[in-house]
Amino acid sequence: MSIRVRPVLRRRTSRRAISVWLIAMLVALVATVQIRSEAEVQRSLVGIDTTSLAFLIDDLHRANDSLLAEAADLQQRQAALRSGSVEAADQVLTDEADNLRTVEGLVPVHGPGVVIVIDAAGLKALDLQDALNNLAAGGAEAMAVNDRRVITVLPVEQTSGGAAIGGVVVAPPWTITTIGDANRLAGVASVMTKQLRADRRVRQATYRVEADVAIQSVVSVRPFVYAIAS
Amino acid sequence: MSRQKVLGIVVVAAVALATGFLVAGQVKAQLLTPSNQVARYQALVRSVQDLEAANAESRRQIASLRAQIDALETEAAGRSAATQALRNQVADLRSHAGLTAVHGPGIEVDLANGVPAPDTTGQARYLLNFQDVQDVVNLLFAQGAEAVAVSGRRITPLTAYSGSAGQVIVDQGPPLSSPIKVRAIGDRNRMLAAIDDASALPDIRARQVQFQLHVTYFGSPDIALPAYDSSLRIPHVNKS
Repeated sequence: MSIRVRPVLRRRTSRRAISVWLIAMLVALVATVQIRSEAEVQRSLVGIDTTSLAFLIDDLHRANDSLLAEAADLQQRQAALRSGSVEAADQVLTDEADNLRTVEGLVPVHGPGVVIVIDAAGLKALDLQDALNNLAAGGAEAMAVNDRRVITVLPVEQTSGGAAIGGVVVAPPWTITTIGDANRLAGVASVMTKQLRADRRVRQATYRVEADVAIQSVVSVRPFVYAIAS
Repeated sequence: MSRQKVLGIVVVAAVALATGFLVAGQVKAQLLTPSNQVARYQALVRSVQDLEAANAESRRQIASLRAQIDALETEAAGRSAATQALRNQVADLRSHAGLTAVHGPGIEVDLANGVPAPDTTGQARYLLNFQDVQDVVNLLFAQGAEAVAVSGRRITPLTAYSGSAGQVIVDQGPPLSSPIKVRAIGDRNRMLAAIDDASALPDIRARQVQFQLHVTYFGSPDIALPAYDSSLRIPHVNKS
């Protein structure tokens, strides 16, 4: 009897052992896959999440479109200069001078845009600086605060008299005039004014889209003393 | 029941328990298809890398075209005094717009991420952000800086900063991350004194203490800044 039973028992025991080993291996495999996958996700997500990546992709698309448009403009300018005529060269230089005077805030300008009015007590220069940067990042091509022209190289500082742009105090309420893509600017202004209205210091924050905004104020040129062309 | 049988049941029970915990953990972590998540993330990263490569190529092209245009203008200016006068005006305007490489005395401010530490705000404040860079640049301009570059990206009258924590985007350039070098040309003693002032850059100083945010600066007799290599197009603005 015992001679017959032993092989059956042995078979059952070995089958059970195989089952246990199989399950153990499966668990080990699943655990390894899980742990490695989580580690990989964590490693790749260091510093930047998928939402930020999506925003970054959007920004880069817009930036690249802008760079391509600039390259196309430069190619046109180059083609005009290659014609060899002095008239063409003068026209290219005049157009560039006009464009750069506008970029540098040296001439009055107008165009479509958004006018934002912020009436608040206690807002600081940093708040104004952030608002202006948000608008610049949102497509503002020319800006003024209370008829004071703003360009990035003009510092926004906190003084005893309040926030100042390029050394001139701009007292609240602030009327921020912007020229640029009105739809994009309206989106930025909408979010900005909504956030400002939630701030206890702010009495009023509104914006209006205008088909033609005029900025009359200009910036004076400050000659370079230290910087020398390379 | 034999001892071996009991042991077998215990092992199977332990394995089943472990499997149960693992499955529950998996479901809870919502990582049932982690490989898909990684693949999606990697696809986004690849898109960013492709766009950054295209961005770098466009900026190279722009720099090259500007150099070629400059050469053609020099040639044209040699043929006419009026063209030469116009060219001089444009050269001055270009240098103020950041379109010309410049050098001169100045300072360098080096910024780098700090170390993670408990933060009640829930933000990653140990990381550099675009406001930090904006504050430093604004301070330098307030002290008379004539030209500034952020990690090789020249600041222009139209410059805007953006980005998320740890990433700084300047105009149409690719995202910059720690360490970031801000270089400025101007009166270096004045700029150094302003940065030395304990009341300057309050947010950065507070995070220097709390998160060991890295801020160092030094003056130099000669600092070189590159020309701006991106777009200054303002298609919606018209001269009055």
